[in-house]
Amino acid sequence: MSDKIGVYVCECGPNIGEAIDIDKVIEAISPIEDVAVVRRHKLLCSGDGQNFLVDEIKNEGLTHVVLGACSPKDHEITFMNVATRAGINPYLIQVVNIREQCAWIFKDKDIATKKAIKYIRAGIERIKYHKPLQKKELDANPDVLVLGGGLAGIEAALALTQTDRKVYLVEKSADLGGSVMKFEKLLSHQGFNLGLIKEKVDKINSNENIEVLTSTNVESVIGFFGNFEVTTKPAGEEAGGKSFIVGAVVVASGYNWFDLESTPRYGYKKIEDVFTINDFGRMIEESEKLKLSTGKEPKSIALVHCGGRKELGYCSRVCCMQMMNIGNYIKDKYPGIEVHELHSDLCVSSKNDQKYYEKSKEKGINFIRMKGVEVGGKAGAISIEYTTLAGDKGKLAVDMAVVAPGMIPEAGTPQVADMLNVPLHPTGFFKEGHEKLNPVGTTMDGIYVVGCAQGPKSFMETLIQAQAATGKIFSHLIPGKKIEPEVKVSEIIEAFCTGCQTCLDVCFYGAITYDEDKGVSVVNEAICRGCGNCAGSCPSDAIRPKHFTTTQLYQEVVEALRE
Amino acid sequence: MSEGFEPRIVGFFCKWCTYAGADLAGTSRLQYPPNVLPIRVMCSSRVDPVFLLTAYLRGADAVLIGGCHPGDCHYIEGNYYTRRRVALLKNIFETLKLDTERLRLSWISASEGPRFAKVITEYTENTKKIGPNPAKNKIFI
Ligand SMILES: Cc1cc2nc3c(=O)[nH]c(=O)nc-3n(C[C@H](O)[C@H](O)[C@H](O)COP(=O)(O)OP(=O)(O)OC[C@H]3O[C@@H](n4cnc5c(N)ncnc54)[C@H](O)[C@@H]3O)c2cc1C
Ligand code: SF4
Ligand code: SF4
Ligand code: SF4
Ligand code: FES
Repeated sequence: MSDKIGVYVCECGPNIGEAIDIDKVIEAISPIEDVAVVRRHKLLCSGDGQNFLVDEIKNEGLTHVVLGACSPKDHEITFMNVATRAGINPYLIQVVNIREQCAWIFKDKDIATKKAIKYIRAGIERIKYHKPLQKKELDANPDVLVLGGGLAGIEAALALTQTDRKVYLVEKSADLGGSVMKFEKLLSHQGFNLGLIKEKVDKINSNENIEVLTSTNVESVIGFFGNFEVTTKPAGEEAGGKSFIVGAVVVASGYNWFDLESTPRYGYKKIEDVFTINDFGRMIEESEKLKLSTGKEPKSIALVHCGGRKELGYCSRVCCMQMMNIGNYIKDKYPGIEVHELHSDLCVSSKNDQKYYEKSKEKGINFIRMKGVEVGGKAGAISIEYTTLAGDKGKLAVDMAVVAPGMIPEAGTPQVADMLNVPLHPTGFFKEGHEKLNPVGTTMDGIYVVGCAQGPKSFMETLIQAQAATGKIFSHLIPGKKIEPEVKVSEIIEAFCTGCQTCLDVCFYGAITYDEDKGVSVVNEAICRGCGNCAGSCPSDAIRPKHFTTTQLYQEVVEALRE
Repeated sequence: MSEGFEPRIVGFFCKWCTYAGADLAGTSRLQYPPNVLPIRVMCSSRVDPVFLLTAYLRGADAVLIGGCHPGDCHYIEGNYYTRRRVALLKNIFETLKLDTERLRLSWISASEGPRFAKVITEYTENTKKIGPNPAKNKIFI
């Protein structure tokens, strides 16, 4: 059957009708090979216009339709639906933008008309090479794996519970709760009651839709959105593993602390009575008393911010608050102890936190802004040497120092990233799907990263991310509903592929794999987003983005160059 | 330079940024010269350098690729690949003693209608100044 192309030029009321001489367009287009009908209409996107198109396609027996109208951004989907209604494949229509990029920019009617003819001609030549593309529907498992049971993982697991959806919460340590749980006294002092987290943990444990697997590691995750096969193994054991299928994965594996010992200038582990936040938290957890190595109570304490920030190259956001909280704790319990806070910037960015700074000032805490610091001396006579912003040197004698180590990625992050096939940020944390468009997603559909696994984060931000990922899963992975992967994907023509594997490197989504047996690369169409980067990279022209083939684009180039 | 020379410029614009920026230029009723034929692609990284070379050897007076600003590509880093490929092609152009001024890559976001109009206007004027593509009348392919 030969092609019967219908071309419809929309007047869009006066928008196109007055700017372009449509009759001239029709006259120029009509003689083109395979063009069966060329007609105009007042408003193609209106109900009337759509019905008109359906009738035209049916009555004229059209195989392809080119629409000279507005930007495809506006009504491509409308017209694709029209095609489906009329019984032709929705990818056999082409919307040619003669409004935004023609009628509205060229004041001269003659020029606008000539351009419209050129654009539509290009659309006609292109559509001759369109192939019908089929929408695919895949079964999707609505269950979710939450990897890590800290604040972020707990929040996500609870928020995700819903009948018809099972949540597997896998935690490598023996208990849920994560990094905060050991610091009850310190955190309750700033009004963060760990009882709230314990309540959530209880809710999780009693929820029959959540399966909690503590002391468990995830061994492998293979598949794609809607269908990931997961295997787990109890920590330190060979047997007793599980395997199950989930549709999505929420990574909530948290963070570690910068190793202060690696940086001699903090004197950590070399000078007694120099502590980290964690050490301090544990000390007060054991007994309320603040004790030096001599057994005496300290008289002056220096709180040194930004431990390792220079080495890490980023601010850890929450250490300033942690330090101010420690300062307040000391002053409230032991008003006689002198407290100095040596900070570089003071990161008090939440509307709830400013009050701690004011309180610290009221309690007489001495804030010193510095750009460099060195902890020296010895137990009993610790000396803090610092440089102010102006470059002046200063010195403090204290008998205790607490240094705030920055947050770094959890030690197992690279392995988890490798297992999930998602990239890491240069800092070593997980990389978000897109800084501005997809902050809790990743490059893999169906894999989300929340909490400090994605970067240093406060309590509140951690919860926000967990809830955001939940929202995404609720709207994209609905129990009982199939998922529709991108239709305009790329494919590799086996016969042309030399197996060079250049395309594997450029695909950000890991959609391409190399088939060792055949010596060619293959696109996984369930993962491909259709960007075409692989096609742009292939030295053998073996890759065909299905709706942006070389031939289709080439037709447009040729029309662009027609005299 | 020939009188009344109207250059023919082939433009490859990514759907998410530059094409949308061109739409915005239209919605804002900005005026720019009608010398570019816009070709829509999903991402600037789809544009195989061979397209550009072919367009040039077929007689395009200039070619333009428009993509998202660095960091804004909807496919994360596609535009970085585009940038490298265009740089490479420029080297090839230099080696072949072809005019690198006829090859341009611009980052234009969806909100930069005025910038789109400006880039097209400048590029068209520049191409008018340097005259028709000398490759046009030679048979290359
Ligand atoms: C002492 C202290 C004071 C703080 N003060 C403040 C403050 O004042 N203000 C503020 O906003 N924030 C503060 N924070 C920060 C807060 O802790 C974090 O924002 C929050 O805890 C991050 O939670 P998370 O779930 O992302 O990470 P985590 O708490 O680190 O939880 C991650 C969990 O995942 C588990 N895990 C890791 N890898 C795997 C794996 N491969 N498989 C299975 N499980 C895994 C870990 O064992 C852990 O249980 C403080 C933290 C501490 C410790
Ligand atoms: S289809 Fe587009 S061009 Fe036609 S009337 Fe509707 S908005 Fe206007
Ligand atoms: S880049 Fe092209 S030739 Fe090389 S492996 Fe990929 S598809 Fe095959
Ligand atoms: S089109 Fe994009 S997402 Fe698909 S395989 Fe190629 S590079 Fe990967
Ligand atoms: S989507 Fe615009 S350059 Fe990649």
